Amino acid sequence: METAVRQIVAFGGGGFSMESGNPLLDEYVLGLSGRERPRVCFLPSASGDADHYVVRFYRAFPAERCEASHISLFRREQGPADLRAHLLSQDLIYVGGGSVISLLGVWRAHGIDEILREAWEAGVVLCGLSAGSLCWFAEAHSGFHGAPRQVEGLGLLPFSNSVHYRPGSEHGLAYQELLRKGMRSGYAAEDGAALHFVEDELSRVIASRPQARGYRLDASDGRVSEVRLATTYLGDSPMEAPRLVEATAAIAA
Amino acid sequence: MVSRILALGGHDFTSRPPDRAVSELMLRLATERAEGRPKICILPTASGDTSEQIGRFYAAFGERPCDPSDLSLFRLGRRPMALRDHLLAQDLIYVGGGSMVNLLAVWEAHDLSAILSLAWRQGVVLAGQSAGAMCWFEAGITKSSGRPAEEPGLGLLGGSLCVHYNNEPERRAAYLEAVGNGMPDGYGLDDYAGLIWEGPGPPSAVTARRGARAYRVTSSDTGVVESPLPARFLPAPAPAALREDIAEFRRIKSMRKRAGWLG
Repeated sequence: METAVRQIVAFGGGGFSMESGNPLLDEYVLGLSGRERPRVCFLPSASGDADHYVVRFYRAFPAERCEASHISLFRREQGPADLRAHLLSQDLIYVGGGSVISLLGVWRAHGIDEILREAWEAGVVLCGLSAGSLCWFAEAHSGFHGAPRQVEGLGLLPFSNSVHYRPGSEHGLAYQELLRKGMRSGYAAEDGAALHFVEDELSRVIASRPQARGYRLDASDGRVSEVRLATTYLGDSPMEAPRLVEATAAIAA
Repeated sequence: MVSRILALGGHDFTSRPPDRAVSELMLRLATERAEGRPKICILPTASGDTSEQIGRFYAAFGERPCDPSDLSLFRLGRRPMALRDHLLAQDLIYVGGGSMVNLLAVWEAHDLSAILSLAWRQGVVLAGQSAGAMCWFEAGITKSSGRPAEEPGLGLLGGSLCVHYNNEPERRAAYLEAVGNGMPDGYGLDDYAGLIWEGPGPPSAVTARRGARAYRVTSSDTGVVESPLPARFLPAPAPAALREDIAEFRRIKSMRKRAGWLG
């Protein structure tokens, strides 16, 4: 019996939600199943299941490319009645952006948190941007709700995560401050960059923009180090990155 | 300090007379409590903060003598707000309809349940319809997961509530069965019927549409009993446009009077 490979692709930002006309990240995640017409289910929970967001998803994932569906937890009277069966039958589950705190609250109320773990262990690829990236990690840095704060995620990946990252930006420094205060080490991705985890480890960093990068951040003894990771731009003919660490910068406390 | 809750079985924010009557009642409850211009905030959480629900609220209160606002937990990214400060500063907090399960889950995740409970104890009027009415009770009958099912609420009010009583026979049947099986006794509210709690006593019933009723629903040895409650009828105020016309007419009339044109 073939053992399922657990995979998560966490976008710092990008895909159809943020990069209209640039399908590189969305094509990458669709390609992971190896199927000609993969089944992909969109979870727009973090947006409150905004109608316009669902429409944009179906435009970006047309029927000739994949078998697309969505689950609206605010309109359970429509859509699949058996959420578990529907989610476990997918090749890819794609989580949209918005409020990560609201997202996790709604998921837990409907038992989606447990189903997603089960789907991940069964080999369904999980992906998403922004709140849809933060949710997979043990700890998340959210700047969405006002002052920067640490949020407990689903914990499929034993790291912390920050999205829309830019080294030296106010948002980036806020993540480093959380790390200094005891948040666990983790990964950050810029808009256009995505972190591809296979099992519990970062396998590669890919990007829909040539300059976009992912980062590894570690804290020890009140000092934070930020390591820029080698990133494969998907617009060229993609090839494996020769080494994962591109540059190391130590940031003083 | 009187703790007040207005629970509504169902309504909308259109310009039709029963909807205007409900909006007027909310404005009156907020004004009674306010020291200056009343502050009224909508929590559209149960709908997922839809623009439609928020837009209709502003259409109803935007031109009235109050300061309306919305607190959209799914939109804080574009507009961060100090949740506690904003809610405690209100005179009336209105909760819209939608998914009761999601409403309570999202509130809990944002620690709003405790803030709303505190606001209520401090005298802020809590109001809402459908999911936004059932949330204040020990339990309600929600269709959040598709079929009507019992769901616990915040429990600020003892007992249970079932909404859209006249319009959704399936929901009403599920409620009667649940009360027969041990769900706490409570109330059934038709669309355009409401109940007002002011302090610890029993509520008073109001209705904005002839025939819309509030029921006391209790279980007894012989089965579940529905008893209609006497309700005060809420007349609809004149629509905004008409109010302006009336004011204009009165201005002209008084000018004429001053000028001695009229006896």
